Amino acid sequence: MSEKKFDPVIVGFFCNWCTSAAADLAGTSRLHYPPNIRPIRVMCSSTVDPVYLIRALQEGADATILGGCHPGDCHYITGNYKARRRVAIVKTVLKSLGFDDTRVLLEWISGSEGPKFARVMNEYTDYIKQRGPSDFKYLDSLGGEEVE
Amino acid sequence: MLKKFIKDAFDKGLIEAVMAPSATKDSYTYALITKKDDVDKLTPIAPVMQWNGADMIRRITKLKKSERKLLAILRPCESRTYKELVKFNQINPENIIVLSYDCPGTVHARNFKFEPTSAEDLLAEMKNGNISKKVRESCQVCEYPTPIKGVGDIGFGIFNTNEPVFFSLSDNGKEFLASMGIQEGERDDSQWVKIHRENREKWLKEERITGGRKGLEDFLSSCLNCHNCKDMCPICFCKECFFEDHSVFDYESNKFYNWADDKEGIRLPTDKSLFHVGRLIHMGTSCVGCGLCQQACPMDIPLYRLFGIVGNDLQKVFNYKPGVDDDIPPVMDFREDELHEFEGLFGGEE
Repeated sequence: MSEKKFDPVIVGFFCNWCTSAAADLAGTSRLHYPPNIRPIRVMCSSTVDPVYLIRALQEGADATILGGCHPGDCHYITGNYKARRRVAIVKTVLKSLGFDDTRVLLEWISGSEGPKFARVMNEYTDYIKQRGPSDFKYLDSLGGEEVE
Repeated sequence: MLKKFIKDAFDKGLIEAVMAPSATKDSYTYALITKKDDVDKLTPIAPVMQWNGADMIRRITKLKKSERKLLAILRPCESRTYKELVKFNQINPENIIVLSYDCPGTVHARNFKFEPTSAEDLLAEMKNGNISKKVRESCQVCEYPTPIKGVGDIGFGIFNTNEPVFFSLSDNGKEFLASMGIQEGERDDSQWVKIHRENREKWLKEERITGGRKGLEDFLSSCLNCHNCKDMCPICFCKECFFEDHSVFDYESNKFYNWADDKEGIRLPTDKSLFHVGRLIHMGTSCVGCGLCQQACPMDIPLYRLFGIVGNDLQKVFNYKPGVDDDIPPVMDFREDELHEFEGLFGGEE
């Protein structure tokens, strides 16, 4: 891993009504965002059980993003408030056990915020490139190096 | 004293059934009785907690509310579980009176099998103000070893008093004691709570699992993946556990080989640590601290250090005390303006 340039895999769970629309808008506006993001369209940020986030991290993702509508703008009225509680739970558990809790990101990006979508994806990918590979994906495996 | 109380309650027609521990050859199980003559078969204060009593009530009221007036004798941790399960709509509290007492702690069920102790020994040590060295780790660091107002209905005070006293914890309990013609008494349990809390503070600092991947793998290294901790956990009441769903956790052979390629070799069975982290995420906010996960572990992994300490961190985030607060459990509730530190890049440090 150290000889090759680190190319992170970032799994994004984007809500159908806001963040996925923002991703489309960023695309049609010809804004660049890194190919490291692997978007998954979900109906609402609250449909993502926190276990899916850690499962993505364990299966080889270096980071995960959960994108939803701004608070108060949820298509299903209150979905994103529930998603926020779930992300708070995942981040607290990861932090308590001594894992890197910045590997889970919660962002509110509305359908009209194409530029914000591109900016967040660029900034987060740069940040994860700096941090290096996640060690969570080596949980229960024989491999992996110490991450500084 | 408690047996006399139960018999009197039967005589007065205030109850029609009782659930309390009863001795077996090597341990104590919960027993349900419906006749006054059977009261002598019970041991209301048992030195072993093999199952969580609230989980037994959940089984009784699973399909329909309790049809008879039931008196349940539960330890403080079990009555907190009871309250938590009522909030999760797993127990119908109608027709149920919960009596809880100053708990001296319980011995590990396996240790009890090989070196039996009696509840009297534990109670004697409690009266001297010492937590017995024999009791389980989770009992030594118990946050609420005595009945609390608002949790359960009737309290039975033994600590720091010559004659046991009854006191009410809810309006139902007040009414019950009044119909029994029992004068409510008082006793000071602050000393008993204080020594437990001091132990707990020390434990929370010293036994924390840190070190990320290495720390967690080492902690769980002897785990058999038997899921006993989940089966015994009263908060894990789902009919079908996500982690036993074969549509999610059965893979094609190539998936295993690809993982082995990418991760420089994998340990089998897979998803062992993920199960514990995932379970922590699902039930951690409501962990009442009964410690049955640790007692159920066949490999003696001190699991309560994982669920209790991380659960404590989670409960701090939501400012929630499971089984004590009247609030809705965090996973079922939300506020519009909260938790902003978890939003945005880099954990809100931006």
